[in-house]
Amino acid sequence: MTTGASATKIDPITFQIVWARLISVADEIAATLVKTSFSLVVRDNHDYACGIYDISGRMLAQSLQCTPGQAGATPRVVAAMLERYPAHQLSPGDVIIANDPWLCAGHAPDVFIAAPVFRAGKIVGVVCNSAHHIDMGGRLGGTDAREVYEEGLIIPITKLMVAGQPNDDLFRLLRRNVRAADKVIGDLRAQMAANHVGARGVVQMMDETGLESLETLADEIIPRTEAAMRAAIAEIPDGVYAHSVDHDELDPDGKPIRLVVRIEVAGDRVSLDYTGTSPQVPKPINAVFNITRAYSVFPFVAALCPRLPMNDGVFNAVSLVVPQGTVLNPTFPAPGMFRSLLSYYVVELIYGALAKVIPDKVMAPSGTYPLWIQKFAGRFDDGRPFVSHFNAQGGHGARQDRDGNSAVVFPGNIASTSVELFEVDAPMLCERKAFITDSAGPGRFRGGLGQEIVIRSLAKHRISGAASGGRFRHGAVGLDGGKEGGRGRIQFNDGEPFARSSQVFYDRGDFVRLCQPGGGGFGDPLSRDPEHVLRDVRQGVVSLAGAAADYGVAIDRDTLRVNVTETARLRTRNAAAAE
Amino acid sequence: MSQPSRFRLGCDIGGTFTDFILLDQETGRFEIEKVMTTTDDPSRAVDDGIVLLADRRPEFPAACENIIHGTTLVINALIERKGAATALVATQGFADLLEMRKEIRYDIYDIAAVYPTPLVPREHRFELDERVTADGEVLRPLENTSLGTTLAKLRAAGIESVAVALLHAYANPVHEQEFAAAAAVAAPDLIVTLSSDVLPEIKEYERTSTTAINAYVRPLVDRYLARLEDRLRQRGFDCGLYLMLSGGGIIGTAAARRVPVRLIESGPVGGAIAAGHIGKIAGVRDVVAFDMGGTTAKGCLIRDGDLPIATSLEVDRVHRFKRGSGMPVGVPAVDLVEIGAGGGSIASIDGLGLIQVGPQSAGAEPGPICYGLGGTLPTVTDANLVLGYLDPDYFLGGTMTLDASGARRGIEREIGAAMQLSVEEAAWGIREVVNENMASAFRMYAAERGGDLPAATLVAFGGAGPLHADGVGRKLGIGKIIVPRAAGVFSALGFLVSPVAYEVSRTAVMRLGTAAGPKLESLYRELEATAGEAIAEATSGPQISFERIAEMSYLGQGHQIRVAVPAAAGSANGGAAVDTAALEAAFATDYRRQYGYAYDDLEAQIVTLRVLATAQGHAPEIIVPFANAARDDSIKTVRPAYDPIGRRFTDHEVHAMDRLCANQNITGPAIIEERESTLIVGIGAVARADPRGWVEVTLGGEMS
Repeated sequence: MTTGASATKIDPITFQIVWARLISVADEIAATLVKTSFSLVVRDNHDYACGIYDISGRMLAQSLQCTPGQAGATPRVVAAMLERYPAHQLSPGDVIIANDPWLCAGHAPDVFIAAPVFRAGKIVGVVCNSAHHIDMGGRLGGTDAREVYEEGLIIPITKLMVAGQPNDDLFRLLRRNVRAADKVIGDLRAQMAANHVGARGVVQMMDETGLESLETLADEIIPRTEAAMRAAIAEIPDGVYAHSVDHDELDPDGKPIRLVVRIEVAGDRVSLDYTGTSPQVPKPINAVFNITRAYSVFPFVAALCPRLPMNDGVFNAVSLVVPQGTVLNPTFPAPGMFRSLLSYYVVELIYGALAKVIPDKVMAPSGTYPLWIQKFAGRFDDGRPFVSHFNAQGGHGARQDRDGNSAVVFPGNIASTSVELFEVDAPMLCERKAFITDSAGPGRFRGGLGQEIVIRSLAKHRISGAASGGRFRHGAVGLDGGKEGGRGRIQFNDGEPFARSSQVFYDRGDFVRLCQPGGGGFGDPLSRDPEHVLRDVRQGVVSLAGAAADYGVAIDRDTLRVNVTETARLRTRNAAAAE
Repeated sequence: MSQPSRFRLGCDIGGTFTDFILLDQETGRFEIEKVMTTTDDPSRAVDDGIVLLADRRPEFPAACENIIHGTTLVINALIERKGAATALVATQGFADLLEMRKEIRYDIYDIAAVYPTPLVPREHRFELDERVTADGEVLRPLENTSLGTTLAKLRAAGIESVAVALLHAYANPVHEQEFAAAAAVAAPDLIVTLSSDVLPEIKEYERTSTTAINAYVRPLVDRYLARLEDRLRQRGFDCGLYLMLSGGGIIGTAAARRVPVRLIESGPVGGAIAAGHIGKIAGVRDVVAFDMGGTTAKGCLIRDGDLPIATSLEVDRVHRFKRGSGMPVGVPAVDLVEIGAGGGSIASIDGLGLIQVGPQSAGAEPGPICYGLGGTLPTVTDANLVLGYLDPDYFLGGTMTLDASGARRGIEREIGAAMQLSVEEAAWGIREVVNENMASAFRMYAAERGGDLPAATLVAFGGAGPLHADGVGRKLGIGKIIVPRAAGVFSALGFLVSPVAYEVSRTAVMRLGTAAGPKLESLYRELEATAGEAIAEATSGPQISFERIAEMSYLGQGHQIRVAVPAAAGSANGGAAVDTAALEAAFATDYRRQYGYAYDDLEAQIVTLRVLATAQGHAPEIIVPFANAARDDSIKTVRPAYDPIGRRFTDHEVHAMDRLCANQNITGPAIIEERESTLIVGIGAVARADPRGWVEVTLGGEMS
């Protein structure tokens, strides 16, 4: 349509087609990135975010696929870039790069690449994508960095290309600082290629619709989205809701790191105050403000309006107070490579607070975080080196009306490792990968199940491994009377359980046993439908003893039927005992 | 006396209709029939259609060369969970793999997401004490007691069909085969599916899922084919029965009974094949097959005549249009995109005050408001009616009268009022949104595959395809549209041009040293023998051609690309060894083409080998030519329809498709009607009736 678009007010149909087209262009940026990237984290785990911005840095559209952390960090990055390089000073062919954790997504591997969009010689917008790179220098693995300097090269907001010409100094600096430099540079090119596709799409869309500027569009899209987000927030009853969560990791005084939130809802406004949260720690788990913001907004979107398109409007609707110097807003040079160990807990922190007023919208804490990622490095018997990962997931928390999913990642989104591919890539044997009986947090609806994994070395040479998991001391608790899910456990050769994630060395025959946590239950387990308990017993996910002790359901061992009278007796007794 | 090979019959069982196309090879003409699908026993509808066709051509059953059959039986059994009592047998410690899936979420913002119920519940998942390593070495022999106990448990549980999926069985199937041998003795009635037969490929979850699906539907398909064969015999047929496969190609009943999972999604295949076929005849290089029906729209990019084949697909999705919400099936499948956009897609206003169209559909019942069958929510069809693109008195050839004022009221109430738009503008908005939804999906599909849509020709079919081709084509920057005649039975038509073909695969992870050459050659020969057998079961006589494919990646990468294995020098059918240097070069070339660069410093590896065996044959040029005689009676009427550029109604000439004559030109705005579909020729576009039996539309003028 050629009429009306350049006027102050866009006609409603053109407006919505153009909006849909912008999101489609953001998705095309993502598709190009996935197709051309070398990083498996980008290809398999969608660890990226792609967006389209106006020349004042407002985000109008974001790719549907991306991880919550990058999705939430990305809206602020382009505005910061445009502060450093004002839009009217940019030239066609300029490319801006940054990975500074405080400006970007909290750790060096997430590199942001932006490019101005020119139409008829005039800058009309910016496209930007971020991708988790396979390396940015710094020390490998290990969870004991004390300062961000140990965690790789920090690139402040800089030009990677100047009017189409590569910034050779920066490329040389990068090449000298990162491992697998060809692939890293290749992935930077992939990011630039993806932006190129995005810029072309934006210009094409403007040509086809006669739209003259993205500002007009942003003025419509952002307030409208914010209004929809606020309308969703208004469904939460007014009030102040506080909650705190203790983490497995300890502060330097040996006390658990504590996350605290106070949520105030007034009409369509919500503000989150994290005062009381533990001070930052000299461990690589501090989450910068951008990441805290990402995981503060995510739970609201997921609980209230999961279909809302992501743009600045979504983020504008939530206001935050995060005291500086805490683990959720650390100051330079606090390390943060493994910030997700902590930031994922912000989701359960917020749901814990909101469970009192919107129990039907939230989910109980999950056994899926911190992430359980096992790393192994060594040599095959013929001397070939290998580096391999093994990912697997615990159980989701229950919801008010359904059991939690078993073995599904949350709130990040990475796939599990194929046992067969793992055994091709490493001289190791996975001997078991099975649900753990009674690992689901009991409840009227139970949590998802955790799983047990056993991995053994078959190699002649010694293998070094980083065994990482969590919830060793604090399982995923239940909500509204629901109980805690099974805790995490890591054992080496069936010895003493680990107190924390650690480095392990495997000689031939040595093995590690991982028991990944189950999700928390929802509601009183004594009110669970006995038929559901019976089904769980038949399937072997709840034991007969667990049925009696946790759910007060007596099941006959031979007939596998519920004993109604005995169940009534057990439930009365258990309820009395709980008083 | 007609020759025994005079006729060929294509028969496509769909959700609502069973379509037939009968080709008379002597005259090149065909007969079309359509009957209601009989879900309780789909073979009855086949019989119904044959009776109707035999009324017209009594000689055909006795003179039929073959019947090519596509069916939704397998997919329906799965979705409705109507398969056999099925068990799964896994390696000790791994019975839960089927339920654990890939442990990833299909929607990051949906915290209430659910996943498909596993086909085999946990109490019917058993374990065998055995272990094979990634090299195919037996680490732990299969324990006899474990075998005996498991067979006893299967009997006790009343299991009819069992899927056996052991770790690394693709590398060494010995334990799966031992189980099958023991079961044949101890439980001869038990139907056994081995993962090493169905999908001898690495990745345990995908292999287990595929094997379980095969076991689940096998008894059902076996019974169905027996009934069908029986009915055909009674009608006097004595000819080959072929089944359409998800990956294109047809196969005999013996293979279909063994590996019914290969039939899982044959519906959309026929249309894509037929679109590619027309593209070939028309001499266009790239084709986008665009099939829009009542509930969904499908798109498939066919480059240079090659049907795009994926090595897996997903079925039984919790959310039909969400990738990852279903069960993976590792079978060759035509690689297409499907979205919730059809004539029945419902329009509403969402929380942002925007028009939303689909994926909810009013279906055939209650259907769009204008059907007058009780539908109250406005749909795409209602919008097309309000805009004047559909004739209320000529829907399905006039067999149904549409309620235009009902459609107007519905659109006014649900859309116009909320958006402060006139009813015509609201209707146009619905059409624009659904067109944009389809264009977006096609753009993404092309971006993921590196395809160039503007260079392609859109072949539009299905009930609503020709109606939306102009709008979708313009949005994609496509310049040319082809609309075939008889678009209503286009899928069944595709069956008739599909060759007997069968693909087999096997994972054999290896690096490309020179030593790999002879090993590869012998593996390929084994695969060729297996695929050749399946062809020989189905047809004798024709020469079989073999295509060798290697799925390769750089060492340590998770994704493979398909590489055609270059023929070794000096021999047509391969020499003593595969030329690994040439293969490595071919991989680098293909990698560069797909990703823009290749790596000199990285080693390449082979992961899975594939062989596609095809029986050579001659595909008929199935066309319904337009009459040559110049005549001038194609205009039925002139009616006002919406002009999106002027934003007002203008007069459109309305032509009858079957009265067009060869090379007749029609300048837009115009409408060309056929019994089951309506073609819009937009402003600035020109349509030409190609003598070979299709209408070619050249788009032009302003974008809308």
